[in-house]
Amino acid sequence: MNFDDLLQLPQYSLPHAEKERILLDELNRLDEHHRAHCPEYERLVSVLRPGFRRAQALSELPYLAVGLFKSHRLSSIPRDKVFKTLTSSGTTGQQVSQIFLDVETAKRQSAALSRIMTHTLGPNRLPMILIESRALIQDRSRFNARAAGVLGMMTFGRDHFYALDERMDLDEEGLFAFLEKFGSRPFFLFGFTFMVWQYLFQRIAERGLDLSQGVLVHGGGWKKMEEMAVSNSEFKSRFREKTGLERIYNFYGLVEQVGSIYVEGEDAYLYAPNFADVIVRDPITWEPAPMGSPGILQVLSVLPLSYPGHSILTEDMGIIHGVDDSPSGRLGKYFSVSGRIPKAELRGCSDVHATQVSG
Amino acid sequence: MKVQQLVPRIEEVELEDILARLRASSANALSPFASEILEFCANFSRALFHDTEAKRLPELQALAFWMRKAELERLRQEFDRLKTDHTWPVPRGLVFHVPPANVDTVFVYSWLVSVMVGNRNILRISPRAALQTTVICRVFDECLETAGEAMQQNTVMIRYAHEKEITAAISAAADVRVIWGGDHSVNDIRSVPIPPHCKELTFPDRYAMSVVRASKYLALDEKMRRDLSAQFYNDTFWFDQMACSSPRLLIWCGDPEDCSAASAMFLRELHAEVNRRGYELDASGSMNKFTFLCRSILDQPVISAERVDNQLTVAQLENIAKLDRNHCGGGFLFQYYAQLLEDLADHVARRDQTLTYFGFDLPEMMSFARLLNGRGIDRIVPIGKALTFQRYWDGYDLLAEMIRHVRID
Repeated sequence: MNFDDLLQLPQYSLPHAEKERILLDELNRLDEHHRAHCPEYERLVSVLRPGFRRAQALSELPYLAVGLFKSHRLSSIPRDKVFKTLTSSGTTGQQVSQIFLDVETAKRQSAALSRIMTHTLGPNRLPMILIESRALIQDRSRFNARAAGVLGMMTFGRDHFYALDERMDLDEEGLFAFLEKFGSRPFFLFGFTFMVWQYLFQRIAERGLDLSQGVLVHGGGWKKMEEMAVSNSEFKSRFREKTGLERIYNFYGLVEQVGSIYVEGEDAYLYAPNFADVIVRDPITWEPAPMGSPGILQVLSVLPLSYPGHSILTEDMGIIHGVDDSPSGRLGKYFSVSGRIPKAELRGCSDVHATQVSG
Repeated sequence: MKVQQLVPRIEEVELEDILARLRASSANALSPFASEILEFCANFSRALFHDTEAKRLPELQALAFWMRKAELERLRQEFDRLKTDHTWPVPRGLVFHVPPANVDTVFVYSWLVSVMVGNRNILRISPRAALQTTVICRVFDECLETAGEAMQQNTVMIRYAHEKEITAAISAAADVRVIWGGDHSVNDIRSVPIPPHCKELTFPDRYAMSVVRASKYLALDEKMRRDLSAQFYNDTFWFDQMACSSPRLLIWCGDPEDCSAASAMFLRELHAEVNRRGYELDASGSMNKFTFLCRSILDQPVISAERVDNQLTVAQLENIAKLDRNHCGGGFLFQYYAQLLEDLADHVARRDQTLTYFGFDLPEMMSFARLLNGRGIDRIVPIGKALTFQRYWDGYDLLAEMIRHVRID
């Protein structure tokens, strides 16, 4: 079974053992490909895993620290094959990740995203509200992860309405008009979690709007949500209570693995699509953590051909709750993400902030 | 300008009032090593030894030990040797200390040398400062209650973030400004002017390494090996290996076979010591260390890397010619094998502050210092003494820096 088969199969339909066997084959092949084409990756694997040839299990695959994409140019293609460079949306002064895509990888990403989203949204394009400003997309000079994410998602909707202006103010009139026209049949809302919460929900909570026909897909912005102390379940229940919006799906994804997103099922757990998987590692032993125990998330994806991003150790904490036994009927692992690794300040004389390498 | 005062007592005060008070107290300033100062410091040391909260903090116990009466007496004798038949040492005046946020005891050492020679002091305490700092300030306040007036008016500690106006107002009144912290803080504060006569001492980012003669290590018996690991542990793991003088590069000298045999044995011992002491690194520290390891492999001539366990990672270097001296802390050692101590001389950089050693004698280290001839390295101390604060620090003689000599003919 190859990548195309994995795409064509209904998503979340592979029992874990079978999926592991298929992914292992694909990922071993990808690993060889990146070792042959990305000298930095080859050097890392040869020093960190002397003698390593092939993994016998997914957990044996080498992994890259996600922070490396911020400090190093990691690419498995010649410069003239770079079709698009994605950057993470860091704040000013922060280092940003740089991801180099060729045409083929970009195609795989959008095909993959499409399969995942059709599973959640159904086969038809729905009228779509973007909790974003039009300016984000228009300014191509700042083509960051957020813009890329929005552009990627836009293809799953029609009659797009940008709900925010450049100052992040809600265009209420426009929103009312949209709902007037499309609100009685299914429509699609998309945005980054904290923006949906702050710039949409906070503004409309007391307005008695009816969003009951909507399907909201949101993700990203963990840090800001933690600061505001709004949990995922509170996010859902407040929306339900104030707007009637029932179908809310959080997703988890990284700019370093665009296309491989993990979308919530009806049970609020995150699920890995056919072509991706997660491992939770104990931060003390680095071994896979027992089910139910929190640890650092490692994400695996067969999408990246143009850069060595097929196995990445993230800076996020997560828990795997079960395998193949979800009442939702979806197969494979189901998990939750609890946010960024809590940052304890190391002591020392120097400007500690500057020396923390994780950025 | 209102500021939060921590010493002499916790209260909101006008910065102008503090500075006026410090200026006024110059009339009845203390002379160097006045009995009042010695008495206060000895009391302070005793209080730190006995305070229930301070007792539990090893750094504060080290501090108390350094400040005990016998030690201060020794410092006084050293000070007396600075006097000549035709010179008399006097305090410089008001010293403004800007200590680092994260090494919680440095500010006391900085203060201590300054107060001993009779200077008045104002210290900036960072809002990020840890529990250790709070305890020190509390115990300090308690000791001040029974101190004489001159002592009570001598020292003020205030807490503020990075407000430039506050730094500027204090700097304008200072006779000496002491800046600890990373390059960034030093540059930042340096941009704030000081009076023309004011002198400035800076303690920027530094690096530390350790050198061991492999044959001497291999000749140790089990107990001595264990003791050495304990000493090395203290140097390295206190302050999460983030103090300027925490060793980050371990160099073995000798034949390659000796070096690798000694290293294997030493790392096993060190690993056992780390476990005995129960050093723990959290998920963020572990992740940071792993990322740093990956970056080092890409940017440095790392030939092999060993995660002995989560607490201890060792990266073997093929050469140290271009070592960039970045570091993540938290139990990460670069390791390098050299034939001779002298071979290292070309690779020492200005940023290198401390060299700890084992298996060499004093004359050997003296001639190494001569060979370096200022290229780098300010302290060469036995393993176990990396963090021991001394009068000579970063190349300064602090005792001498804090006074003026009056020449009398």
